[in-house]
Amino acid sequence: MYFRWVEKVKKFDIQTYQNLIKDVGGINVENLFVFMGKVQETFGCVPREVVRDVAMKTGFSEARIYGALTSYRDFKV
Amino acid sequence: MKETKLLTRRVGKYEPPDLKVYEAQGGLAALRRALEIGPESVIEEIKRAGLVGRGGAGFPTGPKWAMVAGEKEGQKYLICNAEEGEVGTFKDKVLLDGDPWLVLEGILIGAYAVGAEKTYIYINGEYEQTIELWNKLVIEARKAGVLGDGILGSKISVDLQVVKSKGLYITGEEFALISSLEMRRAAGRLKPPYPTEKGLFERPTVVNNVETLANVPVILSEGVEAYCNLGVADEPGTRLFCLSGDVKKSGVYELEIGSGTLEEFINEFGRGTTSGRPIKAVQPGGGTSRFLAGESLNCKLTAQAIREAGSGIGTAGVIVYEEGKSAVEIVKGLMEFYGFESCGRCAPCRIGVVRMKEIVDKIFGGEGASDDLEQLRQISKACVEVSTCGMGQAFPLPVLSALELFPQDFEAAIEKVSA
Repeated sequence: MYFRWVEKVKKFDIQTYQNLIKDVGGINVENLFVFMGKVQETFGCVPREVVRDVAMKTGFSEARIYGALTSYRDFKV
Repeated sequence: MKETKLLTRRVGKYEPPDLKVYEAQGGLAALRRALEIGPESVIEEIKRAGLVGRGGAGFPTGPKWAMVAGEKEGQKYLICNAEEGEVGTFKDKVLLDGDPWLVLEGILIGAYAVGAEKTYIYINGEYEQTIELWNKLVIEARKAGVLGDGILGSKISVDLQVVKSKGLYITGEEFALISSLEMRRAAGRLKPPYPTEKGLFERPTVVNNVETLANVPVILSEGVEAYCNLGVADEPGTRLFCLSGDVKKSGVYELEIGSGTLEEFINEFGRGTTSGRPIKAVQPGGGTSRFLAGESLNCKLTAQAIREAGSGIGTAGVIVYEEGKSAVEIVKGLMEFYGFESCGRCAPCRIGVVRMKEIVDKIFGGEGASDDLEQLRQISKACVEVSTCGMGQAFPLPVLSALELFPQDFEAAIEKVSA
Protein backbone atom coordinates (compact mmCIF):
# COMPACT_ATOMS: atom_id res chain seq x y z
CA MET A 1 0.00 0.00 0.00
CA TYR A 2 2.97 2.31 0.42
CA PHE A 3 4.76 1.41 -2.77
CA ARG A 4 3.70 3.08 -5.99
CA TRP A 5 5.29 2.90 -9.40
CA VAL A 6 6.43 6.37 -10.37
CA GLU A 7 6.44 7.14 -14.08
CA LYS A 8 9.05 9.42 -15.51
CA VAL A 9 7.73 12.94 -15.98
CA LYS A 10 7.81 14.09 -19.59
CA LYS A 11 7.34 17.54 -21.04
CA PHE A 12 3.93 18.38 -22.43
CA ASP A 13 3.70 18.20 -26.19
CA ILE A 14 0.61 19.08 -28.14
CA GLN A 15 0.87 16.35 -30.77
CA THR A 16 0.87 13.49 -28.25
CA TYR A 17 -1.98 15.14 -26.42
CA GLN A 18 -4.11 15.45 -29.53
CA ASN A 19 -3.45 11.81 -30.38
CA LEU A 20 -4.66 10.86 -26.91
CA ILE A 21 -7.89 12.79 -27.45
CA LYS A 22 -8.36 11.02 -30.78
CA ASP A 23 -7.85 7.63 -29.10
CA VAL A 24 -10.67 8.15 -26.61
CA GLY A 25 -12.91 9.77 -29.22
CA GLY A 26 -13.10 13.28 -27.79
CA ILE A 27 -13.20 14.49 -24.21
CA ASN A 28 -16.55 14.29 -22.48
CA VAL A 29 -17.74 13.98 -18.93
CA GLU A 30 -18.34 10.22 -19.24
CA ASN A 31 -14.77 9.29 -20.09
CA LEU A 32 -12.94 12.10 -18.31
CA PHE A 33 -11.54 9.92 -15.53
CA VAL A 34 -10.22 7.37 -18.01
CA PHE A 35 -8.76 10.12 -20.18
CA MET A 36 -6.97 11.71 -17.22
CA GLY A 37 -5.55 8.29 -16.35
CA LYS A 38 -4.17 8.01 -19.88
CA VAL A 39 -2.66 11.48 -19.66
CA GLN A 40 -0.99 10.53 -16.38
CA GLU A 41 0.44 7.36 -17.93
CA THR A 42 1.73 9.17 -21.01
CA PHE A 43 3.28 12.24 -19.42
CA GLY A 44 3.97 10.88 -15.95
CA CYS A 45 1.88 13.71 -14.59
CA VAL A 46 -1.14 15.79 -15.56
CA PRO A 47 0.37 18.93 -17.10
CA ARG A 48 -1.12 22.34 -16.45
CA GLU A 49 -1.99 22.76 -20.14
CA VAL A 50 -4.14 19.63 -20.04
CA VAL A 51 -6.07 20.81 -16.98
CA ARG A 52 -6.70 24.14 -18.66
CA ASP A 53 -7.87 22.51 -21.88
CA VAL A 54 -10.09 19.98 -20.12
CA ALA A 55 -11.63 22.73 -17.99
CA MET A 56 -12.49 24.65 -21.12
CA LYS A 57 -13.96 21.61 -22.90
CA THR A 58 -16.03 20.23 -20.03
CA GLY A 59 -17.08 23.47 -18.35
CA PHE A 60 -15.65 22.42 -14.99
CA SER A 61 -13.53 24.95 -13.15
CA GLU A 62 -9.79 24.35 -13.04
CA ALA A 63 -10.00 24.34 -9.26
CA ARG A 64 -12.46 21.47 -9.31
CA ILE A 65 -10.27 19.38 -11.55
CA TYR A 66 -7.21 20.07 -9.43
CA GLY A 67 -9.27 19.28 -6.35
CA ALA A 68 -10.16 15.88 -7.74
CA LEU A 69 -6.72 15.09 -9.16
CA THR A 70 -4.81 15.89 -6.00
CA SER A 71 -7.03 13.62 -3.91
CA TYR A 72 -5.88 10.50 -5.80
CA ARG A 73 -2.59 8.92 -4.93
CA ASP A 74 -1.67 7.97 -8.51
CA PHE A 75 -2.18 11.36 -10.13
CA LYS A 76 0.68 13.82 -10.15
CA VAL A 77 0.04 17.46 -10.98
CA MET B 1 -14.90 -31.15 2.19
CA LYS B 2 -14.09 -30.55 -1.44
CA GLU B 3 -14.12 -27.74 -3.93
CA THR B 4 -17.21 -27.23 -6.08
CA LYS B 5 -16.07 -25.60 -9.30
CA LEU B 6 -18.93 -23.63 -10.74
CA LEU B 7 -17.61 -20.15 -11.43
CA THR B 8 -13.98 -21.19 -11.65
CA ARG B 9 -14.52 -24.28 -13.82
CA ARG B 10 -12.93 -22.64 -16.89
CA VAL B 11 -10.10 -20.95 -14.99
CA GLY B 12 -6.85 -22.26 -16.41
CA LYS B 13 -8.64 -24.18 -19.18
CA TYR B 14 -8.15 -21.55 -21.85
CA GLU B 15 -5.87 -18.66 -22.62
CA PRO B 16 -7.85 -15.40 -22.57
CA PRO B 17 -8.69 -13.42 -24.62
CA ASP B 18 -9.56 -16.45 -26.75
CA LEU B 19 -13.26 -16.35 -27.52
CA LYS B 20 -13.39 -19.53 -29.62
CA VAL B 21 -12.38 -21.88 -26.83
CA TYR B 22 -14.70 -20.13 -24.43
CA GLU B 23 -17.62 -20.56 -26.81
CA ALA B 24 -16.70 -24.20 -27.40
CA GLN B 25 -16.87 -24.77 -23.66
CA GLY B 26 -20.45 -23.52 -23.50
CA GLY B 27 -19.77 -19.82 -23.23
CA LEU B 28 -22.15 -17.11 -24.46
CA ALA B 29 -25.08 -19.56 -24.25
CA ALA B 30 -26.42 -17.64 -21.26
CA LEU B 31 -26.25 -14.33 -23.11
CA ARG B 32 -28.09 -15.83 -26.11
CA ARG B 33 -30.72 -17.24 -23.80
CA ALA B 34 -31.09 -13.90 -22.00
CA LEU B 35 -31.64 -12.10 -25.30
CA GLU B 36 -34.32 -14.67 -26.12
CA ILE B 37 -36.32 -14.57 -22.88
CA GLY B 38 -36.26 -10.80 -22.38
CA PRO B 39 -35.10 -8.56 -19.52
CA GLU B 40 -38.07 -9.13 -17.17
CA SER B 41 -37.58 -12.90 -17.19
CA VAL B 42 -33.85 -12.50 -16.57
CA ILE B 43 -34.50 -10.41 -13.45
CA GLU B 44 -37.19 -12.88 -12.40
CA GLU B 45 -34.74 -15.80 -12.66
CA ILE B 46 -32.04 -13.97 -10.72
CA LYS B 47 -34.61 -13.20 -8.03
CA ARG B 48 -35.70 -16.85 -7.89
CA ALA B 49 -32.08 -17.98 -7.65
CA GLY B 50 -31.75 -15.77 -4.57
CA LEU B 51 -28.42 -14.29 -5.65
CA VAL B 52 -26.98 -11.83 -3.14
CA GLY B 53 -24.08 -9.44 -3.68
CA ARG B 54 -20.66 -10.93 -3.05
CA GLY B 55 -18.84 -7.66 -2.47
CA GLY B 56 -19.42 -7.36 1.25
CA ALA B 57 -22.79 -5.77 1.95
CA GLY B 58 -24.77 -8.75 0.65
CA PHE B 59 -27.65 -6.87 -0.94
CA PRO B 60 -29.95 -9.08 -3.09
CA THR B 61 -29.09 -8.62 -6.76
CA GLY B 62 -32.52 -9.29 -8.30
CA PRO B 63 -34.38 -6.52 -6.42
CA LYS B 64 -31.49 -4.12 -7.08
CA TRP B 65 -31.78 -4.73 -10.82
CA ALA B 66 -35.56 -4.46 -10.69
CA MET B 67 -35.27 -1.02 -9.08
CA VAL B 68 -33.09 0.29 -11.88
CA ALA B 69 -35.06 -1.49 -14.62
CA GLY B 70 -38.21 0.22 -13.27
CA GLU B 71 -36.84 3.56 -14.44
CA LYS B 72 -37.90 3.60 -18.06
CA GLU B 73 -36.49 6.80 -19.54
CA GLY B 74 -33.02 8.17 -20.00
CA GLN B 75 -29.50 6.89 -19.61
CA LYS B 76 -28.72 4.17 -17.08
CA TYR B 77 -25.36 2.77 -16.05
CA LEU B 78 -23.94 -0.50 -14.84
CA ILE B 79 -20.62 -0.57 -13.03
CA CYS B 80 -18.66 -3.72 -12.30
CA ASN B 81 -16.73 -3.09 -9.13
CA ALA B 82 -13.33 -4.78 -9.43
CA GLU B 83 -11.51 -2.42 -7.11
CA GLU B 84 -11.06 -5.13 -4.47
CA GLY B 85 -8.95 -3.22 -1.98
CA GLU B 86 -10.12 -5.09 1.09
CA VAL B 87 -7.47 -6.63 3.30
CA GLY B 88 -7.13 -10.35 2.66
CA THR B 89 -9.34 -10.43 -0.43
CA PHE B 90 -8.09 -11.50 -3.85
CA LYS B 91 -10.91 -13.62 -5.30
CA ASP B 92 -11.95 -11.22 -8.08
CA LYS B 93 -8.51 -11.32 -9.63
CA VAL B 94 -8.86 -15.06 -10.16
CA LEU B 95 -12.02 -14.53 -12.21
CA LEU B 96 -10.76 -11.43 -14.04
CA ASP B 97 -7.55 -13.18 -15.11
CA GLY B 98 -8.75 -16.75 -15.46
CA ASP B 99 -12.18 -16.39 -17.01
CA PRO B 100 -12.74 -12.78 -18.12
CA TRP B 101 -15.34 -13.78 -20.71
CA LEU B 102 -17.60 -15.09 -17.96
CA VAL B 103 -17.42 -11.74 -16.18
CA LEU B 104 -18.01 -9.89 -19.45
CA GLU B 105 -21.02 -12.08 -20.17
CA GLY B 106 -22.36 -11.24 -16.72
CA ILE B 107 -21.87 -7.54 -17.35
CA LEU B 108 -23.69 -7.77 -20.70
CA ILE B 109 -26.61 -9.73 -19.27
CA GLY B 110 -26.86 -7.26 -16.39
CA ALA B 111 -26.77 -4.28 -18.73
CA TYR B 112 -29.42 -5.88 -20.92
CA ALA B 113 -31.66 -6.69 -17.96
CA VAL B 114 -31.61 -3.18 -16.50
CA GLY B 115 -31.46 -1.41 -19.86
CA ALA B 116 -28.05 0.20 -19.43
CA GLU B 117 -26.16 1.12 -22.59
CA LYS B 118 -22.99 2.29 -20.95
CA THR B 119 -21.09 0.04 -18.57
CA TYR B 120 -17.82 0.42 -16.73
CA ILE B 121 -15.45 -2.02 -15.16
CA TYR B 122 -13.43 -0.35 -12.44
CA ILE B 123 -10.26 -2.39 -11.91
CA ASN B 124 -7.76 -1.98 -9.10
CA GLY B 125 -4.77 0.01 -10.41
CA GLU B 126 -2.34 -2.52 -9.00
CA TYR B 127 -3.66 -5.26 -11.32
CA GLU B 128 -1.60 -4.00 -14.25
CA GLN B 129 -1.68 -7.23 -16.25
CA THR B 130 -5.40 -7.67 -15.65
CA ILE B 131 -6.05 -4.22 -17.10
CA GLU B 132 -3.92 -5.01 -20.16
CA LEU B 133 -5.84 -8.25 -20.64
CA TRP B 134 -9.19 -6.47 -20.35
CA ASN B 135 -8.17 -3.82 -22.87
CA LYS B 136 -7.38 -6.63 -25.32
CA LEU B 137 -10.61 -8.38 -24.40
CA VAL B 138 -12.72 -5.34 -25.23
CA ILE B 139 -11.12 -5.06 -28.68
CA GLU B 140 -11.66 -8.80 -29.27
CA ALA B 141 -15.28 -8.56 -28.11
CA ARG B 142 -15.98 -5.61 -30.41
CA LYS B 143 -14.54 -7.58 -33.32
CA ALA B 144 -16.67 -10.62 -32.54
CA GLY B 145 -19.81 -8.50 -32.23
CA VAL B 146 -20.32 -9.32 -28.56
CA LEU B 147 -19.84 -5.72 -27.54
CA GLY B 148 -20.88 -2.47 -29.21
CA ASP B 149 -23.90 -1.79 -31.41
CA GLY B 150 -26.19 -4.79 -31.80
CA ILE B 151 -24.70 -7.46 -29.56
CA LEU B 152 -24.98 -10.95 -31.11
CA GLY B 153 -27.17 -9.69 -33.92
CA SER B 154 -29.83 -8.15 -31.69
CA LYS B 155 -30.85 -4.50 -31.49
CA ILE B 156 -29.31 -4.00 -28.07
CA SER B 157 -26.13 -1.99 -27.86
CA VAL B 158 -23.86 -2.07 -24.84
CA ASP B 159 -20.53 -0.36 -24.47
CA LEU B 160 -17.86 -1.22 -21.93
CA GLN B 161 -15.19 1.10 -20.64
CA VAL B 162 -12.21 -0.30 -18.75
CA VAL B 163 -11.26 2.08 -15.96
CA LYS B 164 -8.04 1.85 -14.02
CA SER B 165 -8.48 2.86 -10.42
CA LYS B 166 -6.11 5.48 -9.13
CA GLY B 167 -4.92 3.91 -5.95
CA LEU B 168 -7.37 4.62 -3.15
CA TYR B 169 -8.93 1.94 -0.97
CA ILE B 170 -12.08 4.00 -0.54
CA THR B 171 -12.95 3.77 -4.26
CA GLY B 172 -14.22 0.26 -3.57
CA GLU B 173 -17.19 1.89 -1.83
CA GLU B 174 -19.93 2.38 -4.40
CA PHE B 175 -20.48 6.11 -3.96
CA ALA B 176 -16.75 6.84 -3.83
CA LEU B 177 -16.41 4.84 -7.05
CA ILE B 178 -19.19 6.85 -8.66
CA SER B 179 -17.62 10.12 -7.46
CA SER B 180 -14.31 9.20 -9.00
CA LEU B 181 -15.92 8.43 -12.38
CA GLU B 182 -17.56 11.86 -12.19
CA MET B 183 -14.09 13.35 -11.71
CA ARG B 184 -14.70 14.31 -8.12
CA ARG B 185 -12.78 13.55 -4.99
CA ALA B 186 -13.45 9.94 -3.94
CA ALA B 187 -15.55 9.92 -0.79
CA GLY B 188 -18.68 8.27 0.52
CA ARG B 189 -22.03 10.06 0.50
CA LEU B 190 -25.02 10.01 2.77
CA LYS B 191 -27.68 7.45 1.81
CA PRO B 192 -30.45 7.63 0.65
CA PRO B 193 -30.64 8.38 -2.28
CA TYR B 194 -29.04 5.09 -3.20
CA PRO B 195 -27.13 4.61 -6.47
CA THR B 196 -30.15 2.76 -7.85
CA GLU B 197 -32.02 6.09 -7.73
CA LYS B 198 -29.31 8.72 -8.17
CA GLY B 199 -25.98 7.24 -9.05
CA LEU B 200 -23.52 8.11 -11.75
CA PHE B 201 -24.31 11.57 -13.21
CA GLU B 202 -27.52 11.56 -11.13
CA ARG B 203 -28.85 8.61 -13.16
CA PRO B 204 -29.93 5.18 -11.87
CA THR B 205 -26.85 2.99 -11.59
CA VAL B 206 -26.21 -0.63 -10.74
CA VAL B 207 -22.93 -1.33 -8.94
CA ASN B 208 -22.11 -5.03 -8.71
CA ASN B 209 -19.11 -7.00 -7.61
CA VAL B 210 -17.21 -9.17 -10.10
CA GLU B 211 -18.21 -12.42 -8.42
CA THR B 212 -21.88 -11.43 -8.36
CA LEU B 213 -21.86 -10.75 -12.09
CA ALA B 214 -19.97 -13.99 -12.76
CA ASN B 215 -22.82 -15.85 -11.06
CA VAL B 216 -25.39 -14.45 -13.50
CA PRO B 217 -24.43 -16.40 -16.68
CA VAL B 218 -24.02 -19.53 -14.58
CA ILE B 219 -27.57 -19.20 -13.24
CA LEU B 220 -29.00 -18.62 -16.71
CA SER B 221 -27.15 -21.45 -18.42
CA GLU B 222 -27.39 -24.06 -15.64
CA GLY B 223 -30.98 -23.21 -14.77
CA VAL B 224 -32.34 -21.87 -11.51
CA GLU B 225 -33.22 -25.31 -10.09
CA ALA B 226 -29.74 -26.75 -10.60
CA TYR B 227 -28.24 -23.64 -9.06
CA CYS B 228 -30.56 -23.73 -6.06
CA ASN B 229 -29.63 -27.38 -5.41
CA LEU B 230 -26.21 -26.15 -4.40
CA GLY B 231 -25.70 -24.47 -1.08
CA VAL B 232 -28.30 -24.11 1.65
CA ALA B 233 -31.95 -23.09 1.30
CA ASP B 234 -31.49 -19.39 2.11
CA GLU B 235 -28.17 -19.01 0.35
CA PRO B 236 -27.91 -21.04 -2.84
CA GLY B 237 -24.82 -21.40 -4.95
CA THR B 238 -21.12 -21.33 -4.31
CA ARG B 239 -18.72 -18.75 -2.96
CA LEU B 240 -15.07 -18.01 -3.52
CA PHE B 241 -13.21 -18.03 -0.23
CA CYS B 242 -9.80 -16.41 0.03
CA LEU B 243 -7.55 -17.94 2.65
CA SER B 244 -4.56 -16.01 3.94
CA GLY B 245 -2.64 -15.19 7.08
CA ASP B 246 -0.86 -17.77 9.21
CA VAL B 247 -1.70 -20.86 7.16
CA LYS B 248 0.59 -23.23 5.32
CA LYS B 249 -1.25 -22.95 2.02
CA SER B 250 -3.14 -19.79 1.18
CA GLY B 251 -5.26 -19.35 -1.90
CA VAL B 252 -8.71 -18.95 -3.40
CA TYR B 253 -11.08 -21.90 -3.07
CA GLU B 254 -14.59 -22.18 -4.45
CA LEU B 255 -16.83 -23.96 -2.00
CA GLU B 256 -20.48 -24.79 -1.89
CA ILE B 257 -22.09 -22.48 0.66
CA GLY B 258 -22.48 -24.29 3.99
CA SER B 259 -20.48 -27.34 2.94
CA GLY B 260 -18.34 -27.38 6.07
CA THR B 261 -17.24 -25.41 9.08
CA LEU B 262 -14.72 -22.60 9.19
CA GLU B 263 -12.25 -24.66 11.18
CA GLU B 264 -12.45 -27.59 8.75
CA PHE B 265 -11.88 -25.20 5.87
CA ILE B 266 -8.74 -23.75 7.48
CA ASN B 267 -7.35 -27.14 8.44
CA GLU B 268 -8.08 -28.93 5.18
CA PHE B 269 -7.33 -26.30 2.57
CA GLY B 270 -4.85 -24.23 4.53
CA ARG B 271 -3.24 -27.38 6.00
CA GLY B 272 -3.18 -25.87 9.46
CA THR B 273 -1.27 -22.92 10.82
CA THR B 274 2.28 -22.04 9.77
CA SER B 275 4.00 -23.03 12.97
CA GLY B 276 1.54 -25.72 13.99
CA ARG B 277 0.33 -23.73 16.98
CA PRO B 278 -3.45 -23.57 17.43
CA ILE B 279 -5.56 -20.85 15.83
CA LYS B 280 -5.94 -17.76 17.96
CA ALA B 281 -8.42 -15.74 15.93
CA VAL B 282 -9.94 -15.62 12.46
CA GLN B 283 -11.39 -12.76 10.47
CA PRO B 284 -13.87 -14.48 8.15
CA GLY B 285 -14.79 -11.48 5.99
CA GLY B 286 -11.74 -9.39 5.25
CA GLY B 287 -9.96 -6.85 7.38
CA THR B 288 -13.07 -5.04 8.56
CA SER B 289 -14.84 -8.04 10.07
CA ARG B 290 -14.97 -9.01 13.73
CA PHE B 291 -12.69 -11.73 15.07
CA LEU B 292 -13.89 -15.24 15.72
CA ALA B 293 -12.13 -17.43 18.26
CA GLY B 294 -12.53 -20.70 20.13
CA GLU B 295 -15.96 -22.29 19.96
CA SER B 296 -17.34 -19.96 17.29
CA LEU B 297 -14.87 -21.34 14.73
CA ASN B 298 -17.23 -24.30 14.44
CA CYS B 299 -19.78 -22.25 12.52
CA LYS B 300 -20.87 -23.35 9.06
CA LEU B 301 -19.63 -21.40 6.04
CA THR B 302 -22.88 -19.53 5.45
CA ALA B 303 -23.49 -15.81 5.88
CA GLN B 304 -26.16 -16.48 8.48
CA ALA B 305 -24.12 -18.91 10.58
CA ILE B 306 -21.13 -16.58 10.63
CA ARG B 307 -23.39 -13.66 11.59
CA GLU B 308 -24.80 -15.73 14.45
CA ALA B 309 -21.28 -16.61 15.55
CA GLY B 310 -20.63 -12.89 15.95
CA SER B 311 -18.94 -11.76 12.76
CA GLY B 312 -19.83 -11.19 9.10
CA ILE B 313 -18.96 -13.01 5.90
CA GLY B 314 -18.23 -9.74 4.08
CA THR B 315 -15.99 -10.40 1.12
CA ALA B 316 -15.20 -13.96 2.30
CA GLY B 317 -11.55 -13.13 2.82
CA VAL B 318 -10.59 -15.48 5.63
CA ILE B 319 -7.55 -14.21 7.56
CA VAL B 320 -6.06 -16.58 10.13
CA TYR B 321 -3.97 -15.52 13.13
CA GLU B 322 -2.15 -18.18 15.12
CA GLU B 323 -1.54 -18.42 18.84
CA GLY B 324 1.45 -16.42 19.99
CA LYS B 325 0.54 -13.23 18.17
CA SER B 326 -0.63 -10.41 20.39
CA ALA B 327 -4.02 -8.90 19.63
CA VAL B 328 -2.42 -5.47 20.09
CA GLU B 329 -0.06 -6.22 17.23
CA ILE B 330 -2.86 -7.38 14.95
CA VAL B 331 -4.97 -4.32 15.69
CA LYS B 332 -1.96 -2.06 15.21
CA GLY B 333 -1.43 -3.44 11.70
CA LEU B 334 -5.08 -2.96 10.77
CA MET B 335 -5.18 0.59 12.16
CA GLU B 336 -2.09 1.52 10.18
CA PHE B 337 -3.82 0.47 6.98
CA TYR B 338 -7.15 2.14 7.68
CA GLY B 339 -5.48 5.28 9.01
CA PHE B 340 -3.62 5.54 5.73
CA GLU B 341 -6.74 4.94 3.66
CA SER B 342 -9.38 7.07 5.39
CA CYS B 343 -10.70 9.52 2.81
CA GLY B 344 -11.16 12.33 5.32
CA ARG B 345 -14.64 13.36 4.40
CA CYS B 346 -16.43 12.86 7.72
CA ALA B 347 -14.97 13.67 11.11
CA PRO B 348 -15.50 10.44 13.08
CA CYS B 349 -13.45 8.41 10.64
CA ARG B 350 -10.89 11.11 9.81
CA ILE B 351 -10.13 12.05 13.42
CA GLY B 352 -11.17 8.82 15.08
CA VAL B 353 -8.82 6.60 13.14
CA VAL B 354 -5.84 8.82 13.98
CA ARG B 355 -6.71 8.87 17.69
CA MET B 356 -7.27 5.10 17.71
CA LYS B 357 -3.96 4.56 15.99
CA GLU B 358 -2.22 6.78 18.54
CA ILE B 359 -3.70 4.87 21.46
CA VAL B 360 -2.87 1.48 19.98
CA ASP B 361 0.68 2.64 19.19
CA LYS B 362 1.00 3.92 22.75
CA ILE B 363 -0.09 0.60 24.21
CA PHE B 364 2.14 -1.33 21.82
CA GLY B 365 5.10 0.90 22.60
CA GLY B 366 4.68 0.19 26.29
CA GLU B 367 3.33 3.54 27.43
CA GLY B 368 -0.31 2.56 27.86
CA ALA B 369 -2.43 3.85 30.74
CA SER B 370 -5.37 2.07 32.32
CA ASP B 371 -8.03 4.41 30.90
CA ASP B 372 -6.78 3.98 27.33
CA LEU B 373 -8.90 0.90 26.68
CA GLU B 374 -12.11 2.66 27.67
CA GLN B 375 -11.22 5.58 25.42
CA LEU B 376 -10.47 3.23 22.53
CA ARG B 377 -13.84 1.58 23.02
CA GLN B 378 -15.68 4.91 23.09
CA ILE B 379 -14.05 6.26 19.93
CA SER B 380 -14.76 2.98 18.13
CA LYS B 381 -18.42 3.05 19.07
CA ALA B 382 -18.82 6.68 18.03
CA CYS B 383 -17.14 5.91 14.73
CA VAL B 384 -19.43 2.96 14.02
CA GLU B 385 -22.52 4.98 14.79
CA VAL B 386 -21.95 8.24 12.94
CA SER B 387 -19.70 7.54 9.96
CA THR B 388 -21.07 8.21 6.50
CA CYS B 389 -19.86 5.24 4.52
CA GLY B 390 -19.23 1.56 5.01
CA MET B 391 -15.56 1.96 5.76
CA GLY B 392 -16.00 4.21 8.79
CA GLN B 393 -18.77 1.99 10.09
CA ALA B 394 -16.72 -1.17 9.72
CA PHE B 395 -13.05 -0.57 10.51
CA PRO B 396 -13.55 -0.18 14.30
CA LEU B 397 -15.31 -3.55 14.47
CA PRO B 398 -12.09 -5.65 14.73
CA VAL B 399 -10.87 -3.30 17.47
CA LEU B 400 -14.08 -3.68 19.44
CA SER B 401 -14.10 -7.43 19.09
CA ALA B 402 -10.39 -7.69 19.98
CA LEU B 403 -11.10 -5.75 23.18
CA GLU B 404 -13.97 -8.12 23.88
CA LEU B 405 -12.20 -11.40 23.08
CA PHE B 406 -8.62 -10.71 24.16
CA PRO B 407 -8.69 -8.11 26.94
CA GLN B 408 -5.82 -9.94 28.60
CA ASP B 409 -3.49 -9.05 25.70
CA PHE B 410 -4.16 -5.35 26.07
CA GLU B 411 -3.98 -5.47 29.84
CA ALA B 412 -0.72 -7.39 29.73
CA ALA B 413 0.76 -4.79 27.40
CA ILE B 414 -0.28 -2.00 29.76
CA GLU B 415 0.73 -3.73 32.96
CA LYS B 416 4.17 -4.71 31.68
CA VAL B 417 4.97 -1.02 31.59
CA SER B 418 3.52 0.09 34.88
CA ALA B 419 5.21 -2.73 36.75
